[in-house]
Amino acid sequence: MKAEFSNEQAGGETKSFLSFKLDNENFTIPVMKIMEILEVPKITKVPQAPNFLVGVINLRGAVLPVIDTRVKFSMSPIEYTINTCILVLSIEVNDEVIEVGALVDSVSEVFELNEARILPSPTIATKYRADYIKGMIQEDDHFLMVLDIDKVFSSNDLESISEYKEEKLDETQD
Amino acid sequence: MDEMKETYIQEANELLENLESSLLSLESNPNDGSNIEQVFRVMHTLKGNSSMFGLTKIAEFVHDLETIYDKIRQNEMQLSKPILDTTLLALDHLNKIIIDSELEEEDNQLNHTNLIAQIHTFIGKSGSVEKKEDSSVETEQDVEGPITYHVMFAPDASIFLDGTNPLILVSELTGLGKNIVIPHFKAQSIEEFNPLDCITFWDVFIETDKSIDDIKDVFVFVEDSSTIVINELKYTNLVSNKEFGEYVSSYMFKEKSIDVNEINELADKVGESSVKESSKAVEVTPVKAQTEAKVTTKKEAKEKVLSSIRVSSDKLDELMNLVSELVTTQASLTLFSQKNESPELEVISENIEKLSRRLRDIAFGMTLVPINNMFSRFQRLVRDVSNSLGKEVQFVTEGGETELDKSIIETLTDPLMHIIRNSLDHGLELPETREEQNKPRKGTVKLKAFYSGISVYIQIIDDGKGIDAEIIRNKAIAKGFVSPEQELSDKEIFDFIFYPGFSTAEVVTDISGRGVGMDVVKRNITDLKGSIVVESAVGVGTTLTIKLPLSLSIIDGLLVEIAKVNYIIPLSVVNKCYEVSNSEMKGNFNKLLVLDDKQIPFINIRREFGYKQQPDEEKSQIIVVSDADRKVGISVDHIVGEYQAVVKPIGKYYKNQDFISGATILGDGSIALVMDSHKIIDLYTEHSKLETK
Amino acid sequence: MAKKILIVDDSESIRLVVGTALRAEGYEVIVGNDGQHALDLLLESGGVNLIVSDLNMPILDGISFLKEVRKLDKYKYLPFLILTTESQESKKMEAKQSGATGWIIKPFVKEKLIAVVKKVIS
Repeated sequence: MKAEFSNEQAGGETKSFLSFKLDNENFTIPVMKIMEILEVPKITKVPQAPNFLVGVINLRGAVLPVIDTRVKFSMSPIEYTINTCILVLSIEVNDEVIEVGALVDSVSEVFELNEARILPSPTIATKYRADYIKGMIQEDDHFLMVLDIDKVFSSNDLESISEYKEEKLDETQD
Repeated sequence: MDEMKETYIQEANELLENLESSLLSLESNPNDGSNIEQVFRVMHTLKGNSSMFGLTKIAEFVHDLETIYDKIRQNEMQLSKPILDTTLLALDHLNKIIIDSELEEEDNQLNHTNLIAQIHTFIGKSGSVEKKEDSSVETEQDVEGPITYHVMFAPDASIFLDGTNPLILVSELTGLGKNIVIPHFKAQSIEEFNPLDCITFWDVFIETDKSIDDIKDVFVFVEDSSTIVINELKYTNLVSNKEFGEYVSSYMFKEKSIDVNEINELADKVGESSVKESSKAVEVTPVKAQTEAKVTTKKEAKEKVLSSIRVSSDKLDELMNLVSELVTTQASLTLFSQKNESPELEVISENIEKLSRRLRDIAFGMTLVPINNMFSRFQRLVRDVSNSLGKEVQFVTEGGETELDKSIIETLTDPLMHIIRNSLDHGLELPETREEQNKPRKGTVKLKAFYSGISVYIQIIDDGKGIDAEIIRNKAIAKGFVSPEQELSDKEIFDFIFYPGFSTAEVVTDISGRGVGMDVVKRNITDLKGSIVVESAVGVGTTLTIKLPLSLSIIDGLLVEIAKVNYIIPLSVVNKCYEVSNSEMKGNFNKLLVLDDKQIPFINIRREFGYKQQPDEEKSQIIVVSDADRKVGISVDHIVGEYQAVVKPIGKYYKNQDFISGATILGDGSIALVMDSHKIIDLYTEHSKLETK
Repeated sequence: MAKKILIVDDSESIRLVVGTALRAEGYEVIVGNDGQHALDLLLESGGVNLIVSDLNMPILDGISFLKEVRKLDKYKYLPFLILTTESQESKKMEAKQSGATGWIIKPFVKEKLIAVVKKVIS
């Protein structure tokens, strides 16, 4: 089926996606980008760093920086529960592949998805930065944001996120 | 053969480098005998290697050069500036012809001829290159058919002692043609009897069409100590003659050799057709050793010549990774042994710690090379450039023993050369101008290297006219890099120098402007994950500071605790530790503490790092660290102990938090952050960064 | 079993050329960078059939190395060749007196090297 939508991907490849929650919002990213999922270990904070940088952890002998994804999305900082976990992501920044840990409130599920089904995100009054979001998926009556993880965690992005609008989308979802 | 040629070229390059630094040393100390010896030795080796590979043009060239220095070291000649200058030019030429060994390039051919002519004027050779005299060739007799020789070979009694096996020589001789061998024994009385002595000697009759030289050749190594007599007999076919054979065989094992006259009589008796001229006897007797050769086993203790092998860098990388893992694992072992209170285990783990520390030092030392090597290359540059500019310059180096990864040194060479050229060209003033300003006539360019934290700093410092920040600023505005209203610090202004297209020189001189701008220099350095900063004061001078991360680091550190977070301070900067009460620090507005009767500025890290909670205890530890030429104290809650830290980078996200140079994983798996004391002091004290004179 | 030759020279080019030529002839070759290194190698080797050594080397030069070798009972009669250039005439005598079996003059062609080696190897 040829894509009728203005997606980056041509055709309809089926890939695995993982969805996770930040506060009450659902987000999803391709499983390919996820190296592993960890329970939250001791995080060592590096002083005088921006809020979204929580600190560093020991991942089998390597030092991994950990980012509070909620702060990146202008939400309040993460509150640790038993469901809180770290997604170890492999992202591409400036032609370099680096690993970073992303703190999320919980992970939901892994599912197969034909990429052609990713709908373009609404351009009107987006809650989050447009380039963070690749598109949206409608699954039953949920709406899932498909993230462009490389953009979300681009290290050049040290600007405060608070300047982005916080208008709530009119969504008919739970 | 290609691999060999490559090896030759590599080795030749090293030799030429060695040669250059010796020559430059010689320039400053013309009478240093060891330098002259070194120069001679290197030339000699280069000559030998070149002829091994059939590179005769190079070999002959070096030979002539070597002759000069041979004469100098034998006091037949004096070293002079023209000689040195020519030698240095010859060196440059050699660098080129190592690759173009057949002088295919016109330039090289021209230089070659010119330089040889110049060299010859020194050693007094006139006209064209003299060819080495061929060793005299004895005219061989033009004989048809083989000649019969009688060879008497009486080895010296002690011939075995130099590993010679006379039997091998005899068999080599007999390999030359048909032969009869008559062995004899010298009698030795029981008292004289020495089993190590050779008491055998031989008469050998040999029929061969080889020359007498070939026969002599067999005995070339023993001719000085043994007795060898070669008689050319007037008859042919004696050897095959049965009667003759039977007759001489009767002499076997007799004590005496067969007399040549007897042989001739015998030969007559047996009778053969062709009558020749009377046989020639060529006696080769032991020659007394010439004047005792001067035994000059001068152990070159003065030079730091170390034997070496080449190792692939992949293997080295792997080795270093493994060593890092070992160190980390060993830390866990130490922790475990401490927790489990087994004295035996503790002893073992202590031993392992010592071994892994040594292993680490050696492994990490392998790719590190003292920066000195690079420094000496610059000596030459400074000399040449200052000469051509008419400036008088003193080139000083400090911290040459600072070690850097070899590949980094190679990448740094070009940018540093460019910076130095700039200093010489635009920074330093002409001697007259300097005098007018009450500066010493001789300008100074200083190259300084030192460690701080896990970085290496390289500074190029000149006492020239400095850079006027105003001029830079105006130029930047003119080029549209910044708006006129923008307020800028000096540091920010000087940063414009590194913008592409920014060149303050009105005329791009041949020296410093070969299309290599400061922007390229900066790029080279950032490619190495380093940074470069300019500081300058008009009339005083300019300092360029390059900071580079050490490629892989395991450092000895002091493990400390601040607000329950572990930090490491590199032991290399730690001076002394003191205990101080918190109240003393609290009300202290000067930020000065009196320790050991000295006033030392201190930094309350807790506060500066933003730790809000109050410390548990009443007391704090002050770690006094060295920073350039002063001492500063850093306060911590506890000192845990010494720790061997494998430092890992904390990543791009923390690039603005550069006062933390990395992190390390402790034995229990938790993380300690490694402090860069230099940066911390910069950030939290108000001292100027310019080097105080 | 292949005969073993120990070659010693501080020049890597020479080591390479000599080693390659000898190996091509079927000899097993051990290589030292200087006299001291070679001495260590010799002691570890369990025995060689010939030593070929340069004279000018750092740490322990050729003649000193030769003398050390001759001190060892096991190697009193071991064939020992020195590598020398024609300008070192007196060295040949000195070497001989110190116990060298013979010499090879640099530069040499492969054939000559092999010929001399065959001449003296035990």
